[in-house]
Amino acid sequence: MSFLALVQDTITKDNVMGTPHDGGNFVTELLAKIRPEWLPEWMFILTAVGIAVGFIVAMVSVIAMWSVWMERKVSGHIQCRYGPMYAGGWHGWAQTLADGVKLLLKEDMIPKGADRALFWLAPAIVLAGIFGALAAMPLSYDWYFARMDLGVFTILALGSTTTIGVVMAGWASNSKWSLYGAMREAAQVVAYEIPLGVSLLCPLMTLGTFSLLDASREQATLFGWDCGMGWAVFTNPFNMAAFVIFWIAALAETKRAPFDLPEAESELVAGFLTEYSGIRWSFFFMEEYAAMFLMSVVGAVFFFGGFETPLTALMRAADLEGGVLYNLVCFGTLVLKAFAGVFLMMWLRWTLPRVRIDQVMTMGYKYLTPLALLCVLLTAVWEYVRYLVVG
Amino acid sequence: MVSASEYFGNVWKTLSTTWGGMKITGKYFLQKPIPVQYPDERLPIPDRYRGIHYLEQEKCINCLACARACPIDCIEMDAIRHGKELEWVTFTLDYQKCMFCELCVYPCPKDCIHMGTEYALVTYDRSELNYDLLSFKGMSRDARIRKKEAEEKKAAKDAAKATKAAKAAPAEEAPAEEEKGEEG
Ligand code: SF4
Ligand code: SF4
Repeated sequence: MSFLALVQDTITKDNVMGTPHDGGNFVTELLAKIRPEWLPEWMFILTAVGIAVGFIVAMVSVIAMWSVWMERKVSGHIQCRYGPMYAGGWHGWAQTLADGVKLLLKEDMIPKGADRALFWLAPAIVLAGIFGALAAMPLSYDWYFARMDLGVFTILALGSTTTIGVVMAGWASNSKWSLYGAMREAAQVVAYEIPLGVSLLCPLMTLGTFSLLDASREQATLFGWDCGMGWAVFTNPFNMAAFVIFWIAALAETKRAPFDLPEAESELVAGFLTEYSGIRWSFFFMEEYAAMFLMSVVGAVFFFGGFETPLTALMRAADLEGGVLYNLVCFGTLVLKAFAGVFLMMWLRWTLPRVRIDQVMTMGYKYLTPLALLCVLLTAVWEYVRYLVVG
Repeated sequence: MVSASEYFGNVWKTLSTTWGGMKITGKYFLQKPIPVQYPDERLPIPDRYRGIHYLEQEKCINCLACARACPIDCIEMDAIRHGKELEWVTFTLDYQKCMFCELCVYPCPKDCIHMGTEYALVTYDRSELNYDLLSFKGMSRDARIRKKEAEEKKAAKDAAKATKAAKAAPAEEAPAEEEKGEEG
């Protein structure tokens, strides 16, 4: 479905996929099956919300744990080392757990001149933003917390609220290093939100939807053939360029090297993290890794087919759609694609040196933003031609 | 102000150099890491390495030549002589002092004190560094491994012998078992 068709559909107030967008989630549906008669409505809703929140918190922890371990292994191997090898036995898999326990047991320090309330609140806001953004991420076609027609906007909007937390942390720490870090983060995010959003417009135009579920389903068909390979980067060549821009902007958004200026340990001690220690410090890291994962999910869903691979198409052909196995395969596909993205981020981090702040600004304003706009223009032309030819 | 060719040249340069760097790091990522996992694996040690000594106790004649040659008096020994037999009381080497100069090795008339290849002297207490060369512990790692291997071989041989004996003559099983027990 093309962009113009979307416009037509929107005008005629029709659903893109023709499916009911009821906003129900799989936790509620699952609980509704085992709900006892006597349970009042409000208690039922509270339980469902509690379980969903617990699930997301667990997801963030597991993602962060696995990503930190992966980061250390990847960086090690890129530098011809092994990385952690002992904790837990097999290739140091429990290293992050051990680190987490250590961070939990560390003294929780708040500097004397710090603004206690803000200092205390900053990690909470950072984490809240990323939890909210993760809630908009579908786990598979039938497993989602909320069916959002504007899912990608939700993710981008909530994902960038973490910046507020970072600026807060920098201000509250009452340290020049922290403040410099926070200011850099603010400047960087303002500069890179634009190319991030604009480059995402390209696949949005190709797919004609803002919903992550619909975008994924849309990419199943290549030239009218349901083979699971009609990924946005294959159906429109400008999407590949848009992906490169999106990826660079995503790196800057998630404060990853080569754009890790807010931390910049060689110049700013640890940037906005300077005064943080113990579990509060680790919250910022959980946010960073969850944000990496989330950006990779957005990239995977809008550029690289989301849940779609030939395997999912095959399962659809075998009439397994809607089953638990099908949903598991979808979930696994998305997680694999997302972690491929996370790996790419790590690879870039351990390849490139950090850029200077003026270079960051130059890149954001002078290169990525105009190029992203150009991409949008070319994609629009391509989509129009395709609309004329294919219909 | 940059020209259009310069502008797109910059874009191309950024992308191509990034890819060039990623190719290099990617190659390193796939290659086998260089480090040796030290306590589990060790690099081969040259034969003439001067590590912790080991003493061939049955050859030693308690002549004190090594102790006298030592410039810092690390070696102390004592033995009681019963005719031609020696009953060892002590033979210690203090690694708090030793500087691994090998001077104690040359004067030995029986060629029975050697520099080993073991170098790890980590202990929880300094007094533990006063090694008793008569004991198992003072031996080099290689010597220890050799001794263990020899023991294992002997035990295996004995076990084989015992089973053979047990098969050949079930009546003689008891003594064979006893012998094996002693070895263990
Ligand atoms: S190696 Fe040198 S210092 Fe050590 S015991 Fe022998 S002679 Fe003494
Ligand atoms: S010099 Fe050799 S034989 Fe003499 S006491 Fe020392 S180790 Fe024994």
